Amino acid sequence: MEAKVISKQDLATWIDALVKQYEVIAPVTEDGVVVFRQVSGLSEMTIEGMVGPAKSLREHFTPPTETLFDYKLEDLSAEVIPPENEERHRVIFGARACDAATLLYVGAVYSNVEPIDTAYFMRREKTYLVGLFCNKPAWSCFCTEVGDFLTNPVAMDVYLTDLGNRYYAEPLTPKGEELIGLGNFRPADENDKVANEEIRQKALERLPKRAEHETACLSYDWDHPVWTELAKKCLSCGACAFLCPTCHCFDIQEHPKLKKGSRYRCWDTCQFEKFTLMASGHNPRETRKERTRQRVFHKFKYSQERYCMLGCVGCGRCIAACPVNIDIRRVLEELEKTAVAK
Amino acid sequence: MRQKAKELLESGEVKVVIGYGQGSAPFKSTPIFIEKPEDAHKLIWNPTCVNNLTVYLRDACRQGKAAIVVKPCDARSIIELIRENQIERDDVVILAMSCPGVLNLDALAEIDLADVKSVEWHQSGIAIKTNAGETIIPSEKAFASKCLSCELAESPIADKKFGEPIERHPIRSKYADIEELEKMLPKERRAYWARQFARCIRCYACRSVCPGCYCKECFTDKPCQLWVLRSTDVESNWFFHFSRAMHTAGRCIACGECERVCPMGIPLMRLNQKMRKEVREMFGEEAGTNPEAPPTLGTFDLKNDPDPCSE
Ligand code: SF4
Ligand code: SF4
Ligand code: SF4
Ligand code: SF4
Ligand code: SF4
Repeated sequence: MEAKVISKQDLATWIDALVKQYEVIAPVTEDGVVVFRQVSGLSEMTIEGMVGPAKSLREHFTPPTETLFDYKLEDLSAEVIPPENEERHRVIFGARACDAATLLYVGAVYSNVEPIDTAYFMRREKTYLVGLFCNKPAWSCFCTEVGDFLTNPVAMDVYLTDLGNRYYAEPLTPKGEELIGLGNFRPADENDKVANEEIRQKALERLPKRAEHETACLSYDWDHPVWTELAKKCLSCGACAFLCPTCHCFDIQEHPKLKKGSRYRCWDTCQFEKFTLMASGHNPRETRKERTRQRVFHKFKYSQERYCMLGCVGCGRCIAACPVNIDIRRVLEELEKTAVAK
Repeated sequence: MRQKAKELLESGEVKVVIGYGQGSAPFKSTPIFIEKPEDAHKLIWNPTCVNNLTVYLRDACRQGKAAIVVKPCDARSIIELIRENQIERDDVVILAMSCPGVLNLDALAEIDLADVKSVEWHQSGIAIKTNAGETIIPSEKAFASKCLSCELAESPIADKKFGEPIERHPIRSKYADIEELEKMLPKERRAYWARQFARCIRCYACRSVCPGCYCKECFTDKPCQLWVLRSTDVESNWFFHFSRAMHTAGRCIACGECERVCPMGIPLMRLNQKMRKEVREMFGEEAGTNPEAPPTLGTFDLKNDPDPCSE
């Protein structure tokens, strides 16, 4: 599909057109934190000069708390009321390539066994992604080590690159073409293509080179001393997992109010001590050693064994957020030293 | 400090030295646990040493005597842990550093973090070396906000002190953050907190990093969660935060860790400072100052209670 260009002056009008037809979700700075929120125009958005990862898109596909159903109890029977689905078709604007890549992985998890997660796929179906190339990847980014989706995006409809005074726009799907059709775009010329290439090259230079995690990870060492080391400092908070766009674990809880109530699901993580606590009182991941191992193995070993994919998109959010500077890249390095040697 | 750590391990006086090690980037340090004397050189001391390591102290002391590297502000949590019977004074060797202030990572917003080579103290703030040269970030911007109101020339409790006491000139009131909130109408204040708490994802990093949050089982983890739901709606989040503020009242030493680690940028110090102010006004006490004093909210003195309800 043909690449197009839109000037920065015309951007606002394009967004206005999108807002008319869709619910538009974009990065917004709220009390100093960049979060993806519904917007009504360009002026609310933070898309320029954003270094490093904003909060991921995860909450827009799997909300931190989601009602599964409400119920009413009458004598011996119960009435179950399914939640209302009135979400409009929506455009997520300014999504990062890593976040989009997440959708393939999480999609694989949620469709792996019957019944598939309909709420998740319903949201996916109603969402069009307008991605934004990362001109200046953050210190914690390492997406190039786990895939090439930064330059070959997946799961997006349009891919934008900031060329300074204009955006380079690649439609990747027919839906993406339609979205572009709503704005004042012109075809990209040679000049634009060269500028786009240059900016991409510059960004790539900031990132680590592709690593062979796929092969190394499968032979990771279960009893590696790194687990004991990590366990000493890890606080078992859930910051790493709750910020991770590929983490998808949830708990199901109930909120009874006398004769009615609701059942909901909410994020949960293997980093919490009670995550694997069984009714018998036994906890197979009792100490932090087992818990830190689970997080890394789930992403780099089990995911491959099960879905032939890595479960990490290299967004670096866990690295930037960890209160005690547990850096998953360094953990991998440690593990791979022995894995490769084997 | 490294020398002392080495001696303590060599003589077998302590089993472990808890300190700061080089992190995965020049502007990050990471907690380290030194058990062998030959590893003592891994200890570092610079403006990136922001963590309050005393969060590890209870566990460490259970394994034997432990030494710990602390800043003056962090040392106050040791006082709290002692007065709340969480550790014994004799089980810890306090290696107290003199501290000009620690790095506020947000101060580096305009610097390309991927380029940073080193972070050092400088007489007028913090010096950041990058590929492009050296930038001096002035104190008011470079230091964590708690450092700007710090009054501690040196550690209030110590076994060995390193560095000279620092003459302090706080440039900001401890309660600066809450002045603005206190002026708000209750309705406005409610709206303010509702907006903040709406962002909370309940990762509990604030709780996990807090040396004062040491309950074996937190009320939020109780399986029967009828009054504090696990859901992230504003009410449940609100309940979580206010309960935590109440639970840490009288023991929060204002290390600022909970606010630092919150990935959602929730200004938790505004809650903490408010509680500290209330405790000071009501009980005349300040957490982290006197290891001999009984815990503020764990004591009843009916005779001298100014509250008429007790009569
Ligand atoms: S594990 Fe870390 S770097 Fe990988 S996707 Fe999750 S948050 Fe991003
Ligand atoms: S790392 Fe943990 S929280 Fe994340 S998906 Fe895997 S098991 Fe779940
Ligand atoms: S964020 Fe860091 S301290 Fe918290 S659970 Fe994850 S690795 Fe452990
Ligand atoms: S660290 Fe922040 S987001 Fe996490 S539970 Fe605490 S206040 Fe909420
Ligand atoms: S509540 Fe926050 S500021 Fe107070 S002691 Fe705990 S972590 Fe430190």
